[in-house]
Amino acid sequence: MPAPLSADIVVIGAGIVGALAARRLARQGASVLILEAGPRLERARIVAAFRNSPIKGNWMAPYPPSPWAPHPIYVPEDNGYLKQAGPYPYPAEYIRAVGGTTWHWAAQAWRLVPNDVRIKSLYGVGVDWPMTYEELDPWYQEAEELLGVAGADDTGSPRQHPFPMEPVAEPWAMRRVRERLAPTYAVVANTVARNSRGYDGRPACVGNNSCQPICPVNAQYLGINAVEAAEAAGAKVVPNAVVFRIEHDAKGRIAAVHYYAPDKSEHRVTGTTFILAANGIESPKLLLLSASDKYPNGLANSSGAVGRHLMDHPSTSLTFYADEEIWLGRGPQSPSSINTLRDGAFRSQHAPYRLDFTNISQVLNVTNDLIKEGVYGTEFAKQLRWRAARQINVKNVLEVLPNPDNRITLSSEKDAMGIPKPEAHYSIGDYTRRAAEVSKADFAKIAELMGGTGLRYSAEGNFANNQHITGTMSMGNDPASSVVDAFGRTHDHENLFVCSTGVMPTAATMNSTLTAVALALRTAEHILPAKKAASVNASSDHKASLA
Amino acid sequence: MASEDLDRVAASRNTLVDPSRRRLLAGLLTAYTASLIPWALAQPAPHADRGAFTALSAILVGRQVLDTALANRIYDALVAANPHFPTDVQALLTLINERHIDPQQLQGVLDGEHSPLAPLPRQILGAWALGVVGSGKDARCVAYETALDAVIVADVLKPPTFAYGVYGSWSAKPNAEE
Amino acid sequence: MNAPIRCLAPLALLGLLVAASAHATDITDAALLQRGYYLATAGDCVACHTAPGGKPYAGGLPMPTPIGDIISTNITPSTSAGIGRYTEQQFSDALRKGIRTDGKHLYPAMPYTAYAQLTDDDVRALYAYFMHGVAPVDSKPAPTRLPFPFNIRLSMAAWNLLFLDNKPYTPDPARSAEWNRGAYLARGLAHCSTCHTPRNLLMAERSSRELAGGAVGTWLAPNITSDANSGIGNWSEQELVDYLKSGHAHDKAQAAGPMAEAVDHSLQYLEPADLQAIATYLKTVPAQHDAADTQPVDSRGAAFDGVADQRGTALPDDAQQWSGAQLYDANCASCHQASGEGSFDGGLPPLFHNTATGRARADNLVLVILEGIRWTDASGVHMPAFANDLSDQQIATLANYLTRHYGNPAATVDAARVGMLRVGGAPSHLVALARLALAVIALLIVLVIVLLVRRRRRAGSAGKA
Repeated sequence: MPAPLSADIVVIGAGIVGALAARRLARQGASVLILEAGPRLERARIVAAFRNSPIKGNWMAPYPPSPWAPHPIYVPEDNGYLKQAGPYPYPAEYIRAVGGTTWHWAAQAWRLVPNDVRIKSLYGVGVDWPMTYEELDPWYQEAEELLGVAGADDTGSPRQHPFPMEPVAEPWAMRRVRERLAPTYAVVANTVARNSRGYDGRPACVGNNSCQPICPVNAQYLGINAVEAAEAAGAKVVPNAVVFRIEHDAKGRIAAVHYYAPDKSEHRVTGTTFILAANGIESPKLLLLSASDKYPNGLANSSGAVGRHLMDHPSTSLTFYADEEIWLGRGPQSPSSINTLRDGAFRSQHAPYRLDFTNISQVLNVTNDLIKEGVYGTEFAKQLRWRAARQINVKNVLEVLPNPDNRITLSSEKDAMGIPKPEAHYSIGDYTRRAAEVSKADFAKIAELMGGTGLRYSAEGNFANNQHITGTMSMGNDPASSVVDAFGRTHDHENLFVCSTGVMPTAATMNSTLTAVALALRTAEHILPAKKAASVNASSDHKASLA
Repeated sequence: MASEDLDRVAASRNTLVDPSRRRLLAGLLTAYTASLIPWALAQPAPHADRGAFTALSAILVGRQVLDTALANRIYDALVAANPHFPTDVQALLTLINERHIDPQQLQGVLDGEHSPLAPLPRQILGAWALGVVGSGKDARCVAYETALDAVIVADVLKPPTFAYGVYGSWSAKPNAEE
Repeated sequence: MNAPIRCLAPLALLGLLVAASAHATDITDAALLQRGYYLATAGDCVACHTAPGGKPYAGGLPMPTPIGDIISTNITPSTSAGIGRYTEQQFSDALRKGIRTDGKHLYPAMPYTAYAQLTDDDVRALYAYFMHGVAPVDSKPAPTRLPFPFNIRLSMAAWNLLFLDNKPYTPDPARSAEWNRGAYLARGLAHCSTCHTPRNLLMAERSSRELAGGAVGTWLAPNITSDANSGIGNWSEQELVDYLKSGHAHDKAQAAGPMAEAVDHSLQYLEPADLQAIATYLKTVPAQHDAADTQPVDSRGAAFDGVADQRGTALPDDAQQWSGAQLYDANCASCHQASGEGSFDGGLPPLFHNTATGRARADNLVLVILEGIRWTDASGVHMPAFANDLSDQQIATLANYLTRHYGNPAATVDAARVGMLRVGGAPSHLVALARLALAVIALLIVLVIVLLVRRRRRAGSAGKA
């Protein structure tokens, strides 16, 4: 059957953000088409692929890229899709497929803290957001009820209504960490899109400890759930549609988008309103690709800010052996963290950060260590058990300030479809590095409180990438310095909106997905206001489906 | 000589070495290497080369190699990658025998001497422990839940993607056997 | 039929007023209402008398039977659409005799044959609850319309004469109080035999084969007699209590389909003493053995990892080509574990030593794969449904893999059977048979009349000759 070539709303990108915007608009009666560059995936196949893969430590292993919609792969070797211009690498991983990158996330679904949106006014760094936390609050609530978010109170983000669910049951390992670190540090349950009870027809977590790369049982909310919800609301998804150009008319209104099918045939899709939701790298890439005579620097780019202010949450970490057996690996992967360092006067001097405790099973890491060290004979099993029972890892999640030189541009290299690859220019500034230095004292203290031995800090100057692609299409009130307004509408094109983590003008310290979803719901409301109050829609939906 | 030594070793450890195993062991091991695996081999391998691999594996992983199906798959994969593998295995066994090398010291000795056999123990342990043969683009999975890293901790953990238990069951203290 | 009732109506109304004023305080007594609530839970009235997503007790649930859908009625105290005008006597007659206020008979989809065991006191408490503890709902569900000849409710009178034992439960003095309580509950409110006792051609329970196994739509309601192989003979009382309370007896069985509903809505709320009583009673039900069960249905199979020797092998692109082991790995092993051994505490159950795979027929196994297990209380999804993820062929391949390695290898299915179970069963010929039978009888009667008339004529003409 030929794909429909026109709709009221055309969404580019079938990830969690685009799909939830699409769902909301479809429920208001709009015809919605979602174009996704990659294919449909099946959960069961992903599970089997992981188990049969020789690479167990890299979450992209069960997600091979499609030739027509490549995404970055680094293990076992770099596939050269995301070019690195430096000076510091930005090895983001993302998935171009129906459901997007949240096929393999740990479902951390945090809100910002109120001061995160005013760091320029308060601390003289970064920029202020064009909205208050209070304006975001109801959209956060709607997002949390759609995803099914379980969280603890008092993690710094005020709320009007309770979480949809109680916090997820605490693993023994995290309980021991919490007990031993108190009162010096308050360890709290993470705010996650993971079921602590049956929710929305999906089961509660059963501790598969594989949230990344895949939740085998659908207890964790994934982008694919958002896509299914959008389709149930009437949106149509066209997979394997690689959008390569956004077409505008003489007045600068978007008229259509053009996509390649895998056989390189070209297709044109018209619509009234267009939403770009193809993640923080592929979206600016598309805007830059769509340059024309009228817009030689790319679409939505009169400010020159498209692709700029690329941010992430870099991490450094400490690994050590606790003096008691706690056995990481029982329960979900990301259960607990320390949230008291996310804000404060120090933000004028150095970045804030969250401190994360992982509950990922240490068996793989420990086994690799033992093989590397050449531990053979009966010592092998003894050491494996001893280390796997005690090894703990704590990491920081650092804020990076928006820097216009950190940016995504078009590479001169092209992919298999003849489309220029994205290129990352990135560096980590002193604001962030100072914080990493400060956090070492926290790491050391934590190790001390756990009776730690065998302390191994991550290599000096080495920051892990956390795949929180932000800043590249920043929102702001001033068209001269931002790409979209407070409602996600591009300043330059009245009918082109962006729903993405890329619109966040600062990164704060929290995983960006929930904020991007909240902003996208707000954008959808702006495009087509709901007939009833927004939060009633979301919660009554879920009460009905829980019956 | 080997036979009497093995009898003495077996007697000192109160293990039974039945005649068929003894025949196999006699062909592969000396008293020294037999002392490194003080338990009886589960069943004789049908084939001297595979038997040598099984014996060397038992020495390196420090456990009885019970999973003969997995042993065969690993052996086949390693031979496919390196046709000299059987010879290398025999050579390493002989080295361990002649110089009474403790498994704990083995890698150090091989590295220090820049031995061509230096990569071999890691390949074998890696295959058993991780269920992976080969490296980089040529890496192949041969086992997951039956790999040793899962088996050794199986009283406490399920390998990732396999559920731990009903909701909340991970809040209890781990049920580690000692 | 109507004339006597018209005469009785004013009398009945008077009786109602008298009854109401005499028992005004009694009938709304909080303790009585609480007891009625408990008994209604034990009887699981809500399961049939509530439509999916509908208001409690407002009816409208179609129950498929071989002779057509029987639709449950509104039993809220609504005066326009429910039983708001029922006297206690009328309530009792419906509950224990299967007779409506207009004198028409109820179909035994309403298990009045079981509720006939109820004592007067319990009926009173239930009446109090349904009149004063349930919110009235003023919408009437669609009426039941069965095809001829089953729409003739009068036929139920004859049926009841044959099959209804309408005496309340009489305690057996030779048995303990606990046993008697268990028998009262099991035979009465919990109405176990309604599903678990086989029925004859006239769809009455065969009382000589109590609890030997029956059907609920496509689901097998298994043998729960004390037989060691076919039934629950080798279960301890505690295992029975666990099963009734939580829907799960470790290393034995899990409730699915209609039994999961029964535990979810009703049995999980029963008092421990009542559950213990039911267990005590069940252990004494005479053993009925099915020759096909050559060993206990919960004793079959063993741990087996069918995919271990294929690790690293690429899966076929076409998922319809996947083997049983590959389907198991991708869909089932995440909870049931690679060797089918279940989680450490058995909360995610092992698949061997499990009645789900050990029975002689694999229909229930196929159904639980299709439908999953989902409770309506906070526990939600116990097992996901795979109807939308797996084709008939995939489910057949998977089910055969499961019974072969973890259960009874003789229990196999094919894609056609899975497809039939998926849509709710094969169409029944009972209606056609009944009509055929009536047509045959009518024809025979006509034939007899014709023959008699011809004989008389011949006799007449012979006389004249």
